[in-house]
Amino acid sequence: MTPKELINKVLFIDIIKGLALTLSRLFSHAVTRQYPKVKRPPFPGFRGLHALAKDEEGRMKCVGCCLCAAYCPSQCIYIHTRESENNKKIVERYEIEVLRCLYCALCVEACPYAAVVLTDHYEYSDYSRDALYFNKERLLENWDKYMAGPKGKEYFEKFWQPKSKDFGKVK
Amino acid sequence: MTEFFKTILPPVIANSPILDILVIIIKVFIVVNFAMINGMYLSYVERKVIGHMQVRLGPMRTGPHGILQPIADGIKLFFKEDIIPANADKPIFFIAPVISLTAALATLAVIPFWEDFIIADINIGILYILALSSLGAYGIILAGWASNSKYSFLGGLRSSAQVLSYEIAMGLSLVGVMLLAGSANLLDIVKAQENMPFGMYLFVQPIGFFVFFMAALAETNRAPFDLPEAESELVAGYFVEYSGMRFALFYAAEYIGMVLMSFLAAICFLGGWKGPDFWFFSKVPPVIWLLIKVYAFIFFYLWIRATLPRYRYDQLMGLGWKLFIPLTLANILITGLVKLLIET
Repeated sequence: MTPKELINKVLFIDIIKGLALTLSRLFSHAVTRQYPKVKRPPFPGFRGLHALAKDEEGRMKCVGCCLCAAYCPSQCIYIHTRESENNKKIVERYEIEVLRCLYCALCVEACPYAAVVLTDHYEYSDYSRDALYFNKERLLENWDKYMAGPKGKEYFEKFWQPKSKDFGKVK
Repeated sequence: MTEFFKTILPPVIANSPILDILVIIIKVFIVVNFAMINGMYLSYVERKVIGHMQVRLGPMRTGPHGILQPIADGIKLFFKEDIIPANADKPIFFIAPVISLTAALATLAVIPFWEDFIIADINIGILYILALSSLGAYGIILAGWASNSKYSFLGGLRSSAQVLSYEIAMGLSLVGVMLLAGSANLLDIVKAQENMPFGMYLFVQPIGFFVFFMAALAETNRAPFDLPEAESELVAGYFVEYSGMRFALFYAAEYIGMVLMSFLAAICFLGGWKGPDFWFFSKVPPVIWLLIKVYAFIFFYLWIRATLPRYRYDQLMGLGWKLFIPLTLANILITGLVKLLIET
């Protein structure tokens, strides 16, 4: 043990350094957020609750191609389609079991029309499983609640744009 | 206080021993309430101070800045289900928290708040405090034993060994003070400190003070010597099996023990209720000075808890027996020699 080490040990230099650090922290600002009172706005592109997008006329964008359901790693998207009288495809049921979703956004990537999207809403905990089983109507409602208007447009351009832009435009 | 009552009460009562008893009861009431409120709010202050030291906020919800948190905790503990383990030794299980709290509260009897405010002015004040603080360890050991659980048993065993070894260092560190003051009466000790530098024994007994402080940390089972509780190893140590009001009694005992050790340190080493004696300071009431010193100590307790990790058990024992006891013995020898040289 060198003399310096001995002096350090006898005078508790290390402990005093530690005490000085904690004291300086006492007067610094806490990093805690008072969550329910103070909410941090989610970063743009945050992947939260699902929604089914609507176009300008307010119609559902989804055409029922089932690509999202095929891509979904946790297989939590259920789609039922049928044919209408004038030989058009109608999406009868579109259901997402949100509790099983892992928010990978592969469905958003897969969708050629950017019809299924992940909004930035994240406070949707509930008391029952049924409340978190979203059917078509509730998913469309989510769009109106969280993504209607210019916000949805902005998100569309930035995050949900289909990989091939002209895919859906071929008539 | 006695004079005040003599003026307002009829002379039949004023000249009888009933008056003395009345005054003592009022004093006890004040002191016990003071200690309980301190113990309650110490838990809040601890959470706040440690929280801020760890760059958190601590309790914030109940009342502004969580100021009502201790009251909420008290109500919660009071109405909680009282669970008794099936294999517990019931009479001992019931009596252990009571021993803890009684020992802690009874010690307050000899603490002088200022010159005229002391419940029992006895000549063996320091001995009484040391005796009762080791009696409090019985509560811990019995709780650990009676719970019939391995965690609480380990906590109780650790506590008994720890209190035994640190009791010695603590007693010996106070011997220096008693030598200098020539008395074990706490009032006399405060008075004897008047003609010391800064009116404190701290500067003539630095080693004694240091050892006393460390031993006080170990006595009250506080970090870094909180092995009997050791949240991360023993869940909660000796009171794992306790819940509700009994748990609250243990907690109150621990916090009152802290307050008490701070009082003892302030009285024996920092000059008690005496403050600096010039312009503004001489007008401050003496009890304020005492409380400032006590709360500074308590803050130091919390500060250390937020800073230091827990000692290993062999380190704790090594520190107690190999460092503190020899240090205090040397301190006693030197103090005695110096006093002898000065007086002759």
